[in-house]
Amino acid sequence: MKKLGIGLMVVLLTAGIALAGQTGAMLTKESIIEKIQKDRVLRVGMSTFVPWAMKDKTGKLVGYEIDVAKKLAADMGVTVEFVPTAWSGIIPALLTGKFDVIIGGMGITPERNLKVNFTMPYEFSGMSMVAHKNKAAGFSKLEDFNKQGVTIAVRMGTTAEAAAKRFMPKAQFKLFENESQALQELNLGRVHAVVSSAPMPAFHALKFPNKLFVPLEENFTKEPIGFALRKGDYDALNFFNNWILVNQASGWLKQRQSYWFETKDWEHLVQ
Amino acid sequence: MFNKPSYKLTLVDAAAMALVIAAISFFWNRMGTTLAYDWHWEAMPQYFFFRNDEGHLVPNILIKGFFTTVKISFWAMGVAMVLGTVSGIMGARGSGFQRFISRVYVESIRNIPSLVLLILFYYFVSSQFLDLLGLDTLLRLQSATVKKAVSLVWAGPGQINAFFSAVIALGLYEGAYISEIVRGGIQGLPRGQWEAAHSIGLPGINTFRLVILPQAFRRTAFPLAGQFISTIKDSAIVSVISIQELTFQGLELMAATFFTFEIWITVTLMYFFLTFPLSQLISYLEKRSAPV
Repeated sequence: MKKLGIGLMVVLLTAGIALAGQTGAMLTKESIIEKIQKDRVLRVGMSTFVPWAMKDKTGKLVGYEIDVAKKLAADMGVTVEFVPTAWSGIIPALLTGKFDVIIGGMGITPERNLKVNFTMPYEFSGMSMVAHKNKAAGFSKLEDFNKQGVTIAVRMGTTAEAAAKRFMPKAQFKLFENESQALQELNLGRVHAVVSSAPMPAFHALKFPNKLFVPLEENFTKEPIGFALRKGDYDALNFFNNWILVNQASGWLKQRQSYWFETKDWEHLVQ
Repeated sequence: MFNKPSYKLTLVDAAAMALVIAAISFFWNRMGTTLAYDWHWEAMPQYFFFRNDEGHLVPNILIKGFFTTVKISFWAMGVAMVLGTVSGIMGARGSGFQRFISRVYVESIRNIPSLVLLILFYYFVSSQFLDLLGLDTLLRLQSATVKKAVSLVWAGPGQINAFFSAVIALGLYEGAYISEIVRGGIQGLPRGQWEAAHSIGLPGINTFRLVILPQAFRRTAFPLAGQFISTIKDSAIVSVISIQELTFQGLELMAATFFTFEIWITVTLMYFFLTFPLSQLISYLEKRSAPV
């Protein structure tokens, strides 16, 4: 009786794996460009990152990324559907077809690129830092933070985590699923600093001027940001690349970038 | 509940109360001085309802998240009831092979953390079956009325696959516990019930349908209702697969506004508002139906 049960499980598992391989193949056979045109909807995977993408007071998504994805969909003549996804699971979700493309402020890195294809960068971001006035008093260089006994909070699985660990290998790290949790830890004075993509650290320091400050004058990395899509879809890659090229040339990307990253005109939308 | 004799305040009670008050005031004091937390309770109501451009009050993300939690819990409980009842009956009265299947189901689910089960299900199983079914594509082709109706009962086209994976995974998980409740309810009946039914000539299936099940149902009704409350609480884990339920909406809102404490407290109260009346209702009914 037991042998029969085990045999049954083996058969089911094998069928599952075979099917998994098949869907993987099916997802790449047809270009997503055709699928998007057919379904008349572009499904975009993203995650909340201020001011790249966030919910406004009425529950609608706003942000730089959201503007980019909306214009992309409008130029394709389809509607856009956002799929908010936990950052740590966003690449598996893309690979298993939960959406068509990640437009989520994703930094291009060789490790990620082994799993997904990236478009050319449509934006450059850099790592910046916000620190606690009491805990990190007098700190003004990266070397000041690269010491034992210094604790830094970052969002898990981000390029911020990688950059912080590369530049400050001696420090200790606390990893969080969301940016707000890392910042809360900083506000509570339990870590010395939070590392994240500019301009969020500077904005956060402005909000709590008595408690927090920006220790470094300039960003300590420069990172290309691209759309991520499943491997093997060169039609989509070509389309997205040229869409970025056209919108860079027309100045549209630059103009949206200055609105979201250099001004705080949008703050009343959120709070 | 209210007509019990009034208590006399003893020294121990007074000490306990003083401790609780001290703990609360210590917390508030730390909030105010050490953490210097900037409270923004005035921002909370707009996340429940806001006025749209035409001046109508429209539900905002917290309310939407609340109802998604209710929907997920309801349907997951439906799935769990079917799975759990079948597996429970198999476990209690089935053949050796049926009992084996029921054991495999219950033991494998009970020994996997719910979070791991959910993620496994979402990324592997549901991509192979639900996504291939193409429910979302089918739904997108329907008229606006159909879309609205479906999203009222289940979810909109963008969420429907994830919604069903969550419902099935949560249902599978809770089903294992229901299976044990049902099995216990049937096996707990005295042997005499079966023997009496046989002696008056009832065939096996009718013994089960007319004698055993109604009694087993009475014994299991309250544990089952309790499991429903657990389902509501467990439904918070589906936030990791991006179902826009209450916890997920709370996390999103925190990421955008950084009002961490206000939002966590509000979300906690909303769950409590859902589960506390239910558990009060159950204990009230339990008391009423208790044999005197």
